[in-house]
Amino acid sequence: MLTLAGLSHHTAPVDVRERFAAEVQAGRHSLVDLLASEHVREAVLLSTCNRTELYAVTDGAIDDTALFSMLPKPPGIDAASFQQFVYVRRGQEVVQHLFRVVSSLDSMILGEAQIQGQVRSAYESAAKLQREHRLVGPVLSRLFESALRVGSRVRSETRLGDGAASIPSAAVELAKKIFGSLAGRHAVIVGSGEMSEIAFDCIAGENARITVVSRSEESARRLAARGGAKATTIGQLPDLLPAADIVIAATSAPHNVITAEMVGRVLPKGPKQPLLILDIALPRDVETEVGAVTNVFLYNLDDLHRVIEGTMERRRAEVPFAEGIIEEGVAEFQNWYNSLEVVPLIRELRQRSEQIRAAEVERALRSLRHLSEQDRAAVDVLTRQLLAKLLHQPTVRLREAVAAGDGADIVNAARYLFELDRQLENDAG
Amino acid sequence: MGMIGILHAIALAFYLLAGALVASTLAAGQREVTRPALFAIVAAVAAHCAALVAYSVEYGELPLVGLAASVSTLAFLIGAGLLLSTLLRQARPLALVLVPLIGMLLLVALMLGVRPSGAELEFRGVWFSLHVLMAFIGYAGLAIAFSAGLLYLLQFRALKEKNFGRAFRFLPPLETLDSVGQRALVLGLGALSFALLLAWAWTVRFRGSLTLRNPEVIWGVVTWLVFVSSLAARRGGAGDRRGAAATVAGFTVVLLAYVVLRVLTASGHLFL
Repeated sequence: MLTLAGLSHHTAPVDVRERFAAEVQAGRHSLVDLLASEHVREAVLLSTCNRTELYAVTDGAIDDTALFSMLPKPPGIDAASFQQFVYVRRGQEVVQHLFRVVSSLDSMILGEAQIQGQVRSAYESAAKLQREHRLVGPVLSRLFESALRVGSRVRSETRLGDGAASIPSAAVELAKKIFGSLAGRHAVIVGSGEMSEIAFDCIAGENARITVVSRSEESARRLAARGGAKATTIGQLPDLLPAADIVIAATSAPHNVITAEMVGRVLPKGPKQPLLILDIALPRDVETEVGAVTNVFLYNLDDLHRVIEGTMERRRAEVPFAEGIIEEGVAEFQNWYNSLEVVPLIRELRQRSEQIRAAEVERALRSLRHLSEQDRAAVDVLTRQLLAKLLHQPTVRLREAVAAGDGADIVNAARYLFELDRQLENDAG
Repeated sequence: MGMIGILHAIALAFYLLAGALVASTLAAGQREVTRPALFAIVAAVAAHCAALVAYSVEYGELPLVGLAASVSTLAFLIGAGLLLSTLLRQARPLALVLVPLIGMLLLVALMLGVRPSGAELEFRGVWFSLHVLMAFIGYAGLAIAFSAGLLYLLQFRALKEKNFGRAFRFLPPLETLDSVGQRALVLGLGALSFALLLAWAWTVRFRGSLTLRNPEVIWGVVTWLVFVSSLAARRGGAGDRRGAAATVAGFTVVLLAYVVLRVLTASGHLFL
């Protein structure tokens, strides 16, 4: 049976989630250890900063407590609180859950792109151990391949991944709406703290030329060293403005660092080309009046949040379309999964038929001693081919009937007609 | 309706379809012009091209003489420019302005009836054809610059007013619009200048002297001045925005000048 046990941002706070993730990262919890359990046939462990989930194919007898025991055990979390964070899913719910996860419908940030790579990575990590430890068998292999296909469809057929959903990406989106590409543009980053570092990495990733401006040249140099940028002191800021395309202000100064008077002094007619100023500091670094200067585009954190909120609103509107794709994927997988039920019956049918064929051929050949070895082989091949052709259509029909969910009567009929029920009784007796 | 009319009508239908698809893309809040809209533009330009080829074959002359034929050719050149601009992914929303403009021109051509004007033979030579063709390339350049300028002003306003809605998402970056507008103006000015030189040479050769009272000459000179002033407006502070505004205003002036000249002058001119 398909089973899932895990915790996510829906059920556990970040300090709990990070402890689970740390356990996995530190290698203290290994999938291979799960094989010690007699109940587990296949397993994949998905571990990200927002979720730790164990997907497994188990025998039907396994209970929640046994499942919990297979999850990582971070220190400092007792059994009672552990159970409060963890959820369990079984059967089709597991399929639905994984398909929603990989499509980022279950993510903290709806539509985020990383989850698909994380699911792929978890699947591939388990598959790497496949040869020695049989971690990923036919069911999980099919489940994860289907999930990744569904995830790709959701990304390509809906606009769930469109737009900026974080402060850095919103800043880049705004910049690109002004400049198109940011490659070669001159960006001035004012400040050298944590926000400046995030801004630096973001802008450097777009191949912009960067100058870092800070109160002390040393801290400016330290940040600039992250990507071959220039560094200078804040006193030089007015001189940098006329040649700047983008200014990102992120200091911890209690007063305005860029004032309308400063901009008016160095750019009396306003900049010839658009100048984008992103004020991501709290308290704000840029005087509001600067935004009124022609060709200056001034945005603060609230504006960036509005860009993100707009994105999220559009993404939420895409959820029904994504759910439709997921529903199709779940139905397709479930059909395949149901068809697995008939595999033992088909195997039995073929074995029984082969036994009969072999016995009859042997009996016939005993009375046909005059036949050459070549003729005997021909008789053997002929009967095998006959049997294969006779069994082909019933096999296909059985699979189809079971996949369609109405196979119980047909399976019973097949057992009755081919005497497989008696065979079972004999085996049992 | 003959083959030429049918092909024009097919082109118009495809332009209308393209316009509807582009508008629905904007209304749906999508970021990019969809593939069906691009196919519709390609089909429209192809049908339009076939219509003009059919005209040339049937009447043995290029569709450059007479109001309806020349309007159709001008619309085709703007369509070709639009098609060229769609190669640049970010410039595709220009269709939002250009497709209705082309549609209107085609409609006018169809209403007038696309057939030869019966003008004198002197209007059918190579020099004359080259003059008209270059002038139309100039006007097509101005139309493209106008559409880029108009979208620039809309996007500029959305950015300045922090209105991050559908228009903000759909419209191209300011830089792209500025670049397309600038190139269209430079190309258009070059073509129109060449056309005016040819017109001067042709008139001097066949008519002895160039009269500035000719309304077509007046319109050509007004357009040339619009080109020059639009490019000049791009110099100095806030040049991009001023350039965009000047181009939009200039295109409007050219249209108004056409209407005024058409009302004030007696009919019988080739293009007025």
